[in-house]
Amino acid sequence: MSYSVLNTDGSEPIYISSDNKRTCIGIDSVLQEWLRANEDTLPSDIQAQVDAGTLTIADAD
Amino acid sequence: MTKARTNASASPAVGRNMVINGAMNVAQRSASVTGLGAASGYFTLDRWYIAEGDASAGRFTMSQTADGPNGISANCLKLDCTTADTSIAAGETLILRQRFEGQNLQRIGKGVAGAKQITVSFYVKANAAFTFGVELFDEDNARQITKLFATTTDWVRHELTFAADEDDGSSPFADDNANSLILAFWLHGGATYTGGTLNTATFANNTNANRAAGIDSFFSSTDNNFFITGVQMEVGPVATEFEQEDISTTLGKCQRYYYKTGPLVNNDTFCLGFNASTTVAVGVTDFPVTMRAEPTALEQNGTPAHYKIAHASTVTTCSAGPSFYTATVGSGTATFTVSSGLTAGQGIEIRSLNSTAFLAWSAEL
Repeated sequence: MSYSVLNTDGSEPIYISSDNKRTCIGIDSVLQEWLRANEDTLPSDIQAQVDAGTLTIADAD
Repeated sequence: MTKARTNASASPAVGRNMVINGAMNVAQRSASVTGLGAASGYFTLDRWYIAEGDASAGRFTMSQTADGPNGISANCLKLDCTTADTSIAAGETLILRQRFEGQNLQRIGKGVAGAKQITVSFYVKANAAFTFGVELFDEDNARQITKLFATTTDWVRHELTFAADEDDGSSPFADDNANSLILAFWLHGGATYTGGTLNTATFANNTNANRAAGIDSFFSSTDNNFFITGVQMEVGPVATEFEQEDISTTLGKCQRYYYKTGPLVNNDTFCLGFNASTTVAVGVTDFPVTMRAEPTALEQNGTPAHYKIAHASTVTTCSAGPSFYTATVGSGTATFTVSSGLTAGQGIEIRSLNSTAFLAWSAEL
């Protein structure tokens, strides 16, 4: 499963899982775990958020 | 005359078990999920997280199973290996774990003078004799300790007491709502975690290679299964009888971390709200208990047509799935999208089409 950017209309971007069953904000722990696991191969829209500084990949626990 | 107050017992008759859902009775997400093993996450029983390191080829089914030891719990957590993995890469793990808020661990007094022992007990069985590990991992100070246990084909209660950890006297668990401790059942691990000497006598600063040395692999055969219930973690050197808890108490504790509506049937109400535009409505869900933190995610069944907006005398089916909008510890706000036909500003009711529709808010550790 991967994530993409759903919208950027609100105060912070909303992300959606590829099965369309999960939406979240950037600090969500499940999203963060996916980001860490796929840090080198992120989809372009996600990478753009990272590059813009609106999505931060936090260190693992 | 002022009388000094004495502290409440660190090991009370009720509330001594720091594990939530140790009887495996609450499974808001699902009772059974197949094909697990490729990713980490919460899948079935509340509070019980599957941690995968580097992806293993091993796959398994995780389920809540009505096969608990009589008089302890009707239910247990079952892992059933469906794809074996006998070529274990260094970073692989399969860990069943629960995380704890630091503010719920203050009774341990860990990391300072007078720290107390911790005793973990649990009932376990498997298809054969295996050696697995139980680890306590102090997330605040990166310290850990692991003890091994053996399975048989019958239910056996294991009682493992972990040494008190005063550390350097200045490293307590943070007194907050963040993750401070992980109780981890190691069922599979690569050389990164098994290549050293098991750290089992006292807490020590973490060395990955010493975390799971000596464990067997759950993924060694598709014959393998693993059952566990009656999990208890308490202060002191003694494993007391497993603490029974009524379902409403356990459910409330679980809902602090994850709240799933339902089950609902056709035209039942999820929540109330208003139309923000001609295509988007906003619905607000009040949580039954105050959540650990502001939820960061909304889950739903992935089928937009299972969600409906009742407005005036009309019901309109959604064209996109409910989406996270914002949340506090007391309520969550989601957006519901239709192709057209809403009247901005109008009050609405969000309804389900069938019993598979749900809204779930997550504030998991």
